[in-house]
Order: sequence, then structure tokens, then C-alpha cells
Amino acid sequence: MHIPDNYLSPSTCAVMGAAMIPVWTIAVKKVKKEVPKERIPLLGIGAAFSFLLMMFNVPIPGGTTAHAIGATLLAILLGPWAATISITIALLIQALLFGDGGILAFGANCFNMAFVAPFVGYFIYKFIKERVSARKGEYIGIVAGSYIGINMAALCAAIEFGIQPLLFKNAAGLPLYCPYPLSVSIPAMMISHLAVAGIVEVIFTIAIYAFIKRVSPGMIYEGAKQKIKSVYAIIFALICLSPLGLLATGTAWGEWGLDEIKNVIIGGKSLGFIPEGMKNGFSFNALFPDYSMKGMPDAIGYILSALAGAAILIIIFKIISALKKGKPKNI
Amino acid sequence: MTEKDIPEWLLKNENYFPQSDKDTFINKSITSLLGVLSHIRRQSGHKTDLFGINATFSVIFTILFIILLSVSRSLFFVITANIYLLLILCLLKGEDIMVILKTSFGVAAFTFIILLPTALYGNFYSITMITPKIFASVTAINILSRTNRWDSIISALKTFFIPDIFILVLDVTIMYIVLLGEFSLDMLYALKLRSVGKNKSKQASLSGIVGTMFIKSKEMAEDTYAAMRCRGFTGEYHTYRKFKFSFVDSLYIIANAIIILCFIYFGRYFRK
Amino acid sequence: MIEITNVSYSYSNIPALKNISLNILKGESVTLMGANGCGKSTLLKLISGIITPDSGSYKYHGEEITEKKLRDSKFSKLFHQKIGFVFQNSQTQLFCPEVYDEIAFGPRQMGIDEAEVENRVKDCLKLLDIEGLKYRAPYHLSEGEKRKVAIACVLSLNPEVLVLDEPLNGLDPRTQRWLVEFLINFNKSGKTLIISTHNLEFLQEISSRAILFNEDHSIAADMAMENILEDIDLLKKVNLIDEYYHKHVGNKHSHFHLHNY
Repeated sequence: MHIPDNYLSPSTCAVMGAAMIPVWTIAVKKVKKEVPKERIPLLGIGAAFSFLLMMFNVPIPGGTTAHAIGATLLAILLGPWAATISITIALLIQALLFGDGGILAFGANCFNMAFVAPFVGYFIYKFIKERVSARKGEYIGIVAGSYIGINMAALCAAIEFGIQPLLFKNAAGLPLYCPYPLSVSIPAMMISHLAVAGIVEVIFTIAIYAFIKRVSPGMIYEGAKQKIKSVYAIIFALICLSPLGLLATGTAWGEWGLDEIKNVIIGGKSLGFIPEGMKNGFSFNALFPDYSMKGMPDAIGYILSALAGAAILIIIFKIISALKKGKPKNI
Repeated sequence: MTEKDIPEWLLKNENYFPQSDKDTFINKSITSLLGVLSHIRRQSGHKTDLFGINATFSVIFTILFIILLSVSRSLFFVITANIYLLLILCLLKGEDIMVILKTSFGVAAFTFIILLPTALYGNFYSITMITPKIFASVTAINILSRTNRWDSIISALKTFFIPDIFILVLDVTIMYIVLLGEFSLDMLYALKLRSVGKNKSKQASLSGIVGTMFIKSKEMAEDTYAAMRCRGFTGEYHTYRKFKFSFVDSLYIIANAIIILCFIYFGRYFRK
Repeated sequence: MIEITNVSYSYSNIPALKNISLNILKGESVTLMGANGCGKSTLLKLISGIITPDSGSYKYHGEEITEKKLRDSKFSKLFHQKIGFVFQNSQTQLFCPEVYDEIAFGPRQMGIDEAEVENRVKDCLKLLDIEGLKYRAPYHLSEGEKRKVAIACVLSLNPEVLVLDEPLNGLDPRTQRWLVEFLINFNKSGKTLIISTHNLEFLQEISSRAILFNEDHSIAADMAMENILEDIDLLKKVNLIDEYYHKHVGNKHSHFHLHNY
């Protein structure tokens, strides 16, 4: 569910980042209250644990394996605010030091995986646990919480993807970033998460929670003692969706589904992307209006090609010698 | 104790024929963890940052570079950016180049496949713009992370107003990824060695490992806390990186200034 | 200097120390001996201020050390500067990204200026012969290297007392020999040395006084090192030796041998 760069416009990334700033600030405040100053470095351990959780392959029935995020698990074990900080740090290290991508999309990824997933999961868990009898309630809460938590996060990601082609187009009407509208992104993300990833999360969360509860129950986060009022749940859900709502202003929500589908069905026109001028074959200039060389001094083109050629040759030589070094010498 | 004290079944040979069972999750988890641990181990060998360029500049300009890439609507700029990265790459060691390109090509290929449906529907813009953009972004960030000491990169984050104490948290996180990772790896190996037949409760095995990892992490936390207190730590922390500005830094800044100019130039030329 | 009176301690209902009383004077070299789990580590942690007694009192230079006092930041810093504790598991106490930072951590916390810090770190690196490890990550070092870094990062605080928990465990013979020499010299320079071990080699070289623990977490004996090592029955009683233990006359001699049964 990690969103890479260049799928979301910089403005989307900035908005999601801005949405996370209050969350992070509050998380730091809350954690500081519960964790004395000299224990702050220990948050690193929660982050390391969160990072490693994402590395494990979870066996699911059928013989395949998949990765889980463990957001709800972390929220239950460490508390939701500590979970947010831990997952944020883990994502930061993944993006910055492991180079998987997602530097600009960091805000969006944190919003989905470090905020929506653990909080939705945790509140549903608590909500159910407080209303259904003890042990049964706990486990139903965990199942529901982890399943819904991860799927809510997937939905947020899908929405972030899907509104890109609606909001960010170039002059020719082509999408600048993710080209798949909501009608494609939502089913694509949700089907895989509802059917597979969600199940993986549930299995992962329940099994590990049960183990820790049996072996060392004292380590599980105690949490707030008061019951959660239903109205807060609704308010919370609304707050979660609001940044996405902000992005979607200017787009009539109802329109997206029908129009796109209509275009696909009616032969000849496809997905409404291509402007009139392209109907009769694809001319290079029309396809790549930004690439046209009109008025561009030839020299620049030549220099760049030369530089590229030289660099590629050097790289190939270096790779070959590095590979050779690795091979054992023949006696 | 004598030979007579040893139970009979231990003195005989075992005649066992295993059934088939898929234990791929153990192997895949092991591979995944090994990958992480060796990645961290590789970077700790550096004595200095790339060519002595101050990590602060590297971090700032790499992020700026990625932003420009993302904003750019000029394929020409994207290609120029890629050429710039190729030039940097050819200055690096062979093994580094291989690993960086492996990741970049991998992610770019994956992107290409994902965007293929839109191309088939006639939208060539996305696939031609986004794929090289992604290639460049991933290459840039991997160059940063492979050629700089990680604690330099982390210290460089101070320019983004991250408080010192969180720099310590990040350092501690990496250490614990190694320690907990090695700990879990040992357990995974032990599980693998004991996976001699059909494991009906795979979930239980995996959750046992992860659960134990959690408990161990809490114990380690207590130990680190005691160790820090014993050396006088009471919550305040200051980082002590010396900020050196050298000739290479000015070269690096000039190179990046050229990139920014290219961005503006190509953007202006082709803005519609 | 160190006065421990009738101290008892339990780890959530599991007893670790039972009514321990002892005094240690400045400049002494004392070894705590006993089988695994007898309470030696716990006592060392108590002396270092990591835990405080459930009952009884611990006084350092006449001042009682309590949980409340240790919560005061200034008191805690001063106390921890005076007593340097080297953990049994070296990895546990290493948490900085580089060996240099690790050794510099203590002095920096003390507020010493950076030039002097650099000085101290250089000296510690030289003293422990780990100059080549300056920029390495502590968690990537070998066991012996980690042990040396752990000692260095405590030494840089310039403590009055050095407390080491099972320092010779897991080290190769050469490093062990080096560490024994180091501890002897350290004590000769006037610092107090308190170590714990369940290994009977080297003891007579390092310490002049031994405190023997029973398996029930109380003190069995507190006397001169030679006397304890002679008392074979006592050593057997506390499970420090087995029935095949024997000493060679003039204890500097040792060889590898097998018994036939």
C-alpha cells in the first residue's frame, strides 16, 4: 500500500503532509505525557518493531504468503498515538534510507498507514470490546478493527490516486500523475485489500496478539479507561475523510462513475482522455507537445546525447568489472 | 548419568519420510530480513560521505531534485535529469551502481506494467512521463542513501526542524532494526531447521516469532534506558556534527544550480 | 565508601537479594562470586543505582541512595558519573551510531567542551587499542570489540568506581589476558574495582577480596581471596566447582586434560 512518488501531484502530497502535521504534533504531546523525557529514545524500538513487522511474510490458507502492516496490532500493543509515531518513523526510514520511493508521498503514506489504519482499527476494537462480553468482545474487536482499519487505509489511498486525473491535467487534457480515475482505482485497491490483504492483517494481528497475551500480558497498552461515545466515532470518521474532501472540491462527486463508464462502452472513444486532434492516428508532436524541439538550439541536444552515451558506457564497464570480481577464478 | 539413563528412542535411528508442505513464508521472511540487515551493514562501511560532499547539501538537493521532477511537465527536463544521474552513477563503484540500478529498473518496470493499460487505451503521455520520472526519483534517493553515512543523512534532517531528540530516536531505531532483526532471523532459522514435516500451525509459529520479538524489544528498551541513565542521560540531547564547507560542496551546488536552470528553461520553452 | 546494610530485593516476587550487608572501601578490588542466578548482577545493579533496595539501605560516601533522590536530574547525573557500570551483555549498553559518539556520549552529557571530549575519546580509544573502530557502528562489532567499546564508553566518564558484570565471559584468551592486565592496572591507579564472575581463573590476580554468594541469594563468605580459593568444601557448597575440581600447586599453571570414567 506504499504510494510511490510521481503518482500523486505535489499539491496532493503537500495537502496530505499538512494534514499530518497536527496529527504528529498531538501524537508527540500525548506520548510525552505518558513517556518521561529520558524514555523518549525508546520510541525507536517501537519504530524498529513496526519496520520489521512489514518485512515478514505471512502464510495464508492456500499456500501463498503476503505482507502485513500491523497498524492495528501496534495500536493495541503500544497505544494509538505511539503507534502513529512508530509507523511514521518506520516509513521515514523506508523512504529515505532504503530508497523504496515515496519521499514526496511521505505525507500521504503516513496519513493512510500511520494515522487512518491504526486509529480506525483501535477505535473499532475498543468500541466493540466495551460493548460485547469480555473475551469474545476482545477478539471480535481485533478482527473487525484490523480488517476495517487496513481497508479504510486502502480506500484513502485509492481516493488519493483516483482524484489525480480529475484535478491535474495538462493543456491537452492528459492526466499528469496517476491516470486511473476513481472508477478504476477504488475497485483495484479495494478488491485486493478486501479479499487478501485484509485477511492477512486479521490473521497476523490476532495470532500475535494472542501469543503476547498468553506469554506476557502486562506489556499490552492499558489505554484510556473511559468508554468511547458513539458520536465521537462519527466525528472521527468525518475528520479522517475531510482532507480528501478538500481535494475533491471542484469535482462533482457523482459524475465520475457514469461518465467514464459511458466512454468506455461507446466504441471509438476511450476513457475520454484523448482530445479530438488525435482521433486520426498518433503524430509524435501531438503526443509529446512538451518534447518538441522547435526553437531549441541543436547543440544542447547533441551535448546531452554525448554525455548520456559516455556515462552509459562507463556504467556498463564498471558493472562488468564488478561482476567479474565476484566470479571465482578458475584454477 | 550412564548409558542406561538415555531413553531407547534416542539410541535408535529414525526412519522418517517427510510429506510435502509449503514453508515458503519462512524462506521469504528470511530473505526479506537478510536483505534489510545486509543493506544496513553495507552502508556502515563508509568512512565519509560521497566525495566529501556535506550530507546536508545532498539531502536538501536530492529532495529538491525529486520535487522538480514531480512538478515538471517537460519530458526534456526529465530526460536531462536522468542524464545527470547517469553522470553521477558513472562516478560510483561498480557494486553500488548495480544495486542502485536494480532497484530503479525494478520499480520503473513495475510502473510501466501498471500504466500499460492506459497506453493501450491511447494515453501515451502517462507512460512516457511517469516511468522516467519514477526511474529518476528512485535512482536519486538510492544514490543518496548508498553513498552517504546514514547517521549523516539523519543529522542532516535537522535542517527540516526536527528536534535533536528525534535524531537520537532515528539512530536508535536503526540499531534496533539490526538487533531485533538478527534476533528474529535466528528464530526463523531455528524454525526452518525444525520444519521437518507438516506444520499445521504455521500461523502459530510465525506469531510466536513476532510475539517473542515484541517481548524482547520491550526488554531491550529497558536495558537501553538503564544504560543511558548510567551515562548521565536525563532527556536532553544535542547532536554534534561538524559543518564543513569545502570545494566539492561548491561544485555540487553549482551542478544543482544548473539543474534548476534547466528546469526553468525547459519549462518556459514548453509551457502551454 | 560503599555501605550496604541489610538489603533485600525481588524482581516482582522472585527474590534476588536476601539480607545483604557489606562495606567496600575506596581503592579496594572486590570480586563477587557465585553460581548463575545467585544475585551478583542484581547487587552490582544496585550499587550502580539502576535499582534501589526493597528493604535495607545503600549509602555511597555516607549519602543514602534512594529512588526519590535518583529522580532528581542533577543528583542522578553526579552519581552516575562517579560509578561506571559495564553490563554483562555489552550490546545492551551500546546505543550510538558510531564508536566515537558512543565514547563521547558520557562526557558530552557532562557538559564538557568538545575539544576536551575529543581528547578523552582519543585517549580511551588508544588505551583500549580500538583506534581502528572509531567510525564503526557498535552493533556490527565482534564480542571482544564490543566489550572494549563498552569499557571505553564508561571510562570516559572518569568514574571513581568501576563495576563490571562478568567481564571475562565470551572473550578469547588473548583478550581475556589483556582485560585482566587492564583491571589490575586500573585498580593500582587508585580506583575502586568491583567485578562479578562465576569463573575461578584469574581471580587471584585481579582481586584481593572475595564475596561469595549462596544459591539462596545471601552471602556465604566475605574474606581474602586466597582463603576462599583454598576452601574447597565451601566452593562446592555454593556450586562454584564440581566434584572433579582440583588445583595445581603454584596456581599459575594450567593444562588441558581429560578424565577417564
